[in-house]
Amino acid sequence: MSKEYDITLKISRYDPDTDQSWIQDYELRVGGILRFVDLFRKINDEQDATLAWSSSCEHAQCGTCGMRINGKPLLSCELLVEMAVEMFRTNVFKVEPLTIAPVIRDLVVDLERAYARVHAAKPYLISPASPNPQGDEFRIQPRVLDRYVEATRCINCFCCATACVTQKNYLGPNAMLVNIVRLMDPRETAKKERLDILYGEQGSPRCRTAQACSFVCPKEIDIAHFIALAKEGAIG
Amino acid sequence: MTNTLKIDSVLRPEVLVIGAGGAGLRCAAAICENRPGTSVVAVTKVHSPQKSHTSTAQGGMAAVDPNDPMDKIVYHMFDTWKGSDCSADQNIIKKVCESAWEQIVWLERHGMHFSRTEQGRIAKRPFGGHMLNFGQVKAFRACYEADRTGKGIMDTVWGETLKYGITFLNQSIAVELLFDNDRCIGAVVFLEQSGKFVVILAKATIMATGGKTRMYQVSTNCKQNTGDGLALVLQAGLPVMDVEAVQFHPTGIVGPGILASEALRGEGAVLRNAEGEPFMERYAPTARDLAPRDLISRCIMKEIREGRGCIHRDHKLPHVWLDLRHIPEHVHKTRIQEVCGFFRKFVGVDPQHELCPVTPTAHYQMGGVPTNEFGEVQRNAQQIVQGLYACGEFAAASLHGHNRLGTNSLLELITMGKVVGDKIAEYIKDADLPPESPPEGTGCEIFSRFSRYFEARGKESYAIIRDELRQTMMEKVGVFRTGTGLSETIDKLTELKSRAGQMQLHSRSLVMNQELVQFWELDHLLEVSMVIAQCALARKESRGGHYREDYPERDPEFHHHTLAFMREYGNVNLDKRPIDMSIYEAKGEHYEKFGIIERKY
Repeated sequence: MSKEYDITLKISRYDPDTDQSWIQDYELRVGGILRFVDLFRKINDEQDATLAWSSSCEHAQCGTCGMRINGKPLLSCELLVEMAVEMFRTNVFKVEPLTIAPVIRDLVVDLERAYARVHAAKPYLISPASPNPQGDEFRIQPRVLDRYVEATRCINCFCCATACVTQKNYLGPNAMLVNIVRLMDPRETAKKERLDILYGEQGSPRCRTAQACSFVCPKEIDIAHFIALAKEGAIG
Repeated sequence: MTNTLKIDSVLRPEVLVIGAGGAGLRCAAAICENRPGTSVVAVTKVHSPQKSHTSTAQGGMAAVDPNDPMDKIVYHMFDTWKGSDCSADQNIIKKVCESAWEQIVWLERHGMHFSRTEQGRIAKRPFGGHMLNFGQVKAFRACYEADRTGKGIMDTVWGETLKYGITFLNQSIAVELLFDNDRCIGAVVFLEQSGKFVVILAKATIMATGGKTRMYQVSTNCKQNTGDGLALVLQAGLPVMDVEAVQFHPTGIVGPGILASEALRGEGAVLRNAEGEPFMERYAPTARDLAPRDLISRCIMKEIREGRGCIHRDHKLPHVWLDLRHIPEHVHKTRIQEVCGFFRKFVGVDPQHELCPVTPTAHYQMGGVPTNEFGEVQRNAQQIVQGLYACGEFAAASLHGHNRLGTNSLLELITMGKVVGDKIAEYIKDADLPPESPPEGTGCEIFSRFSRYFEARGKESYAIIRDELRQTMMEKVGVFRTGTGLSETIDKLTELKSRAGQMQLHSRSLVMNQELVQFWELDHLLEVSMVIAQCALARKESRGGHYREDYPERDPEFHHHTLAFMREYGNVNLDKRPIDMSIYEAKGEHYEKFGIIERKY
């Protein structure tokens, strides 16, 4: 077995039935290879069945388990105890929900409004180019796809939106990516509408180039790079 | 407690979709394409449809490109038939394989980011069991988006349904199906966020709740795959089919069992035992590491049993190695980027330079709810349930029989999703509206279930029962099964079910009470496991993913699908459905390949 650690989780609790918030400490002795989602499960199993938290795939592909650990937005399914101890140089971890959405209970947030910003960026082809005469697929050269393929990897975990220095009236870095992908996608013909979203009220003018998005992205997408390209008009 | 639980409101869309993953939303998109303006409500257990388990599928979708000079649809049909161990339905095989390319093009036109060839066309990679010339040499047939193919599909169908403005109820669970006489008219849905019950009355209800393998200790499935859909169907007195056919994916990352796609072997990765030997050459001289999954999983377990496995230093679990070191760096970086990242993050291994520890992991249900070729749910081998449809992993039409080939599941989602959507669009044109008010007794079943959870007193622990269930299923209803082990499992499940009645809730709230939902899920896991164990006990032969050590051969006596009903816990009634062999019976070209054939790779 890998090394064991004595750790403390200081978890933000919220009870919607009484509208009370508090911080609750949980002490655990755990193996270094456990993920933070395993820790929450362990708490549910052994100490407190009422602690509510979210996850789904638990291997960083769905983006359900985003939260703040010692202030850093990340996916709790891919944070191993030994990594956390090394990264934060402590055995005490403050665990809080993401800030971009209202809390329902404890670490569970309501993503509806956060997702509404993604919807506003239209995560689909608004107006696909007409099919080629052979009736089969469009031709997209790999070098064209390579320019934006990284941006298609976004899973909308909202870690970037939580870290972003602009918290108001901004679609947010992930929603910006949705729009940028389709601006760079040769199959999208509604470029004018896309540019309106990009440069609009809630678009790139709101970005203050702090690059926090790129710094926290669990998929290591250089979001700030894409937004910078878009600001320069170097896409499409 | 029952009298404090109540229905909060009634919604009346034309179509109700239960499960908003790839299949459910491909189906919804097809309905809206056929009939723009159709009102659709889609219920999903996760936070957003984009978080569905479909998004985690990695490798690809099989489809024969009409421009391919080498590949033919008949080869794909043959591979699927052979892969199924002669228990898929040939009418479904034909329908799916013939419409495969059309559906790839649909996805591409709607914006999916397929990986490309130098000529800008959709790239293809080899996958297990897919071969040219009736099993001679590997075929390049799987269309893919790097190792994010499922995400590509999910994003595309989700985007399309957003465009059509369908309504999503996120973090919600369907808890009771509703019927008017014999016709399905919708469901009761519990909204976890608000703790409210909503009745949804619709002309057509489509169930696409996906897989169920969370009753196994090691599983690739997301946390939500607890067999809710199957349990709901069983509770309604309807049958499930071939549930003993559970697929174990050969290469789960040791520990949590995270999927390491077959695409890795498609790109050239090789399985090795502790001695470094590429052992698949011994078992399957032609297909080797690209043999079907059931076969490779058994070979890995055999290597481990015979002492040629390793023990993982951290997880202390047995495994074999997957070797990706010889695969070029650019492939690591562009085509298998996500899964290489999983090895780095979860077991601290760099696949470019080190061997990766893998072990079989519960992955997929070949069986499910029986449907005909239009996705209409069946009451028995002859009759359908009006108004109720199913597609995707949840449904057994059956494309996969007792073993599914890699890349055929995503293919099934999009092809059958479309077929079922077209059928529903036609049905709702003339179908009667459901009754004005919910039928008498609506909600009674779920209210009494929830009340039992709230009122139960006792010292039994949810966690212990869950873990005992998972260990039992993994050990005795896993890759290898025996009559004795299955009988012991049935006894164990009976005991666990009775203990589950003595678990006590720690909160009485209905709002985001995850423990309450876990109790409900555990009941489903126990119910579905019982049916799996009994069906596995009854099938005294080995076929595909169902392997009986006491009956190691396929037996013509079991050349049929198993239908199973369970109205009362443990009391399982079995029935049969014939296997469709229409390709063989049509006596067309190559028909002899579709008989009861030998299965060697």
